[in-house]
Amino acid sequence: MTSRRFWRRSGATGWALTAPATLAVIGLLIVPIGAVIAGTFMDPRGVFAPYISYFNSGFRTTVLFRTLQISALTTIISLIFGFMTAYVVSRAPGRLKSLLIVAAVFPLLTGVVVRAFAWLIILGRNGILNQTLLALGIVNEPLEMLYTQGAVIVGMVYLFVPLMVLSLVGVLENIPKDVLQASSSLGASPMATFWQVLLPLAVPGLIVGAVLVFTGSFTAYATPQLLGGERQTVLATLLQQRAMVSFDWVGASTIATIMTVITISIVLAMSHIARRINPIAT
Amino acid sequence: MMSDRPHPILVVIAALVYLFLMVPLVIVVGAALSDTTYLTFPPQGLSLRWFENIFAISAFRRTIVTSLQIAFLGTLFALLIGIPAAYALNRFRVELPKWLGTLFVLPILVPEIVFGFALLKSLTVGAGVPIFLALLVGHTLLVLPYVVRVISASLASFDFSIEEAAISLGSAPVKTFFTIVLPNVRAGVIAAFILAFITSLNDVSVSLFLTGPGISTLPIQILAHVEQFFDPTVASVSVLLMFLTVAVMAIVERTLGLTFLAK
Amino acid sequence: MTQPLHIDAVSAHYGTTKVLEDLSLSVQAGELVSLLGASGCGKTTTLRLIAGFLSPTSGSITLGGRDLTRLPTHKRDIGLVFQNYALFPHLSVLDNVAFGLKQRGIAPAERRKRAMAMLERVGLAALADRAPGALSGGQKQRVALARALVIEPPLLMFDEPLSNLDAKLRVDMRVEIRQLQRANGTTSVYVTHDQEEAFSISDRVAIMNAGRLMQFDRPEVLYRRPANTFVARFVGFENIIPFKAVARDGDVVTAETAGMRLRLSQSLFGAIPDTFLLATRPDGLTVSIEAAAEGLPARLGLRTYLGRAYQYQCETAAGHLIANGILTTPLEAGTSVKLVPVPEQCTILAPDGDE
Repeated sequence: MTSRRFWRRSGATGWALTAPATLAVIGLLIVPIGAVIAGTFMDPRGVFAPYISYFNSGFRTTVLFRTLQISALTTIISLIFGFMTAYVVSRAPGRLKSLLIVAAVFPLLTGVVVRAFAWLIILGRNGILNQTLLALGIVNEPLEMLYTQGAVIVGMVYLFVPLMVLSLVGVLENIPKDVLQASSSLGASPMATFWQVLLPLAVPGLIVGAVLVFTGSFTAYATPQLLGGERQTVLATLLQQRAMVSFDWVGASTIATIMTVITISIVLAMSHIARRINPIAT
Repeated sequence: MMSDRPHPILVVIAALVYLFLMVPLVIVVGAALSDTTYLTFPPQGLSLRWFENIFAISAFRRTIVTSLQIAFLGTLFALLIGIPAAYALNRFRVELPKWLGTLFVLPILVPEIVFGFALLKSLTVGAGVPIFLALLVGHTLLVLPYVVRVISASLASFDFSIEEAAISLGSAPVKTFFTIVLPNVRAGVIAAFILAFITSLNDVSVSLFLTGPGISTLPIQILAHVEQFFDPTVASVSVLLMFLTVAVMAIVERTLGLTFLAK
Repeated sequence: MTQPLHIDAVSAHYGTTKVLEDLSLSVQAGELVSLLGASGCGKTTTLRLIAGFLSPTSGSITLGGRDLTRLPTHKRDIGLVFQNYALFPHLSVLDNVAFGLKQRGIAPAERRKRAMAMLERVGLAALADRAPGALSGGQKQRVALARALVIEPPLLMFDEPLSNLDAKLRVDMRVEIRQLQRANGTTSVYVTHDQEEAFSISDRVAIMNAGRLMQFDRPEVLYRRPANTFVARFVGFENIIPFKAVARDGDVVTAETAGMRLRLSQSLFGAIPDTFLLATRPDGLTVSIEAAAEGLPARLGLRTYLGRAYQYQCETAAGHLIANGILTTPLEAGTSVKLVPVPEQCTILAPDGDE
């Protein structure tokens, strides 16, 4: 039967089945983004004119560095607390562990707006944090916590810690249990096993998690918009302003390109590094 | 292991982290129920009026419908093109190039906001595609990686020799796919559906640029509303969004149980 | 340096299930003892209790006078060889072997020296700087062995170390392990489900079943004189036939079972009770077509070829038995024969299953 023989000529069938998705991604994602990026190099003022113009602006350069800084701090904080939490979760007994994992998933499913909004309520002038501080007499006047870099970072950490915890629990589970037992049997105290065996084996996974959080915070819009406003403009909010408010399409495309190039470079660098130092390929 | 229990300090920190994660959500729910005209927590008086207010505002009514439509259609299309792709990636792993799998994950690697902007520029402005369609395209591609990943994971533990056995017993290949393969990855399909639906429902960055007269998604509308009115309506809409998310999960859990979380 | 191990009335529970029931076992200094049994018999649990990965619900474990029972694993000073090798993927072969020395505070130069010396003993000095992932199964196992030996522990334990290797390698490796153990004279506990493996290298073997010790003795004794029907079946006594003594004449006891009488000498079997079970291997029952032969009447069933003999499934009044027959006359199913026990190949068991 010809249909059976066609089925066995698997290459062709494979391509046929992936064709719609492939075409969709290429035609509706790669091409449009490629066009945006390419467009920035076709400025009549010169090939790199938009970029030169970008970095000539003190304000725009500040925005870039602010975004990098916020992303870095968010990543570090999420990494530290995420790892500690993941460690505890991975050692939890069966039913508690499942519960903890579901509890970590839930915030992820509530969406960025809800989560950023929660901090709006908490950190506002009449927010619950200020109310508590006033009530306890720690301050005499409400603190201006919103629209500061701190507020944005808190919101971002809140956004990404669940992701970090879930990804790191997976990493820790992947470390073979008998390797840790071997370490213990050879005389390594629990601390020694942690530093000499567990941590080194978790590092590739930690890198992956860190990159996820970094790129996520680097390109985030809703959280910095709500909690940082115009005082804490980041790349994403700047992009939106340029495109929808100023209708500066070249400017917006430039920002988009910078964002994309930095993000993709970091992801590529990560997969390269992680693959090189990944020892769990036994 | 005797030395398996983590240090008490770590347990305390982990507990605090979980508290940190859960409390703000509780606060949003509380604020939504407050009987005041301004946002406050703890709620002063309990009232559902701010929930009623959501439906009083036409912008919210419209965008809820739009969001649900986009989420449903986007997920549907993603499943339509994603399931065959995931199947092919697993079944013909040897014949297909490795980078193909990465291709389908690309929407996650690329900044969402850049993607949304690019669609605005090429489709809407460049090709005059209606906003709703552009929004749909954006969301379909946005959730595609989740669909492909989850179904792929499901298929990775699928024993393809079942399929070969069926074909050898005379079942036509296409029929075999629908009667043998698909039912066995039902869990994956349902998990993919939930994940995709919820992702689409909550998305901001892709939808940001793809709004037009009468077309907007709920999260975008909330953002706009917050800028103008700082009243509990936003809190109640947020709670509504949360509720929709939980509802979708619960409906599916009824049919399936939380087995999909073990991926 | 090498010490005796004492397990005293140890019990272990997983939740409400009793996994080990009141186990007592002593391993002499320098001895290699195997814990042998099917999966679920408790042998691995015993090993994990000794290693400290599990706590007993009652009983104690002492090594050379030191009470290990409440001691955490990393203070027990026991060398462990794991089934899946458990090599540290992020460390080189040399650093793997030196790991235990590092924990004991030995200086880097000295560590390197000792680790290299041990790698030479197992023939892997050339691979010292390789990553464990690049090694073959047999090489990994040797590294694991070197890593456990280099710390010169008073006790060595092996958790089914060879079950992931292929047959030929398994035989070679078990000899190597035994040689190394003998050379060092280290007390060793070896867990396996492979009877041949246990019997070939152990000083004594403990056969376990459902959390209890069924018999603990030298392999020769287990093989020839099993203490109960479980061990008898385990070591290959497929046929277990109930007998009743009908006459005693000094040393000789005449016993009877359905359709057959047998004369057994007490000087060969020891004291023979009035009712007992006669256990034989298929080799211990010869198939005879002579009608006058003194044996159990049987009807032959399926015949299979073993290479050195034919093996027949037989139906008798005493139940289903398995007997071997000579190669020169293959017999067809349905043939009526007599099964003649060979006394030297038989052993006596008490009727309730214990000797």
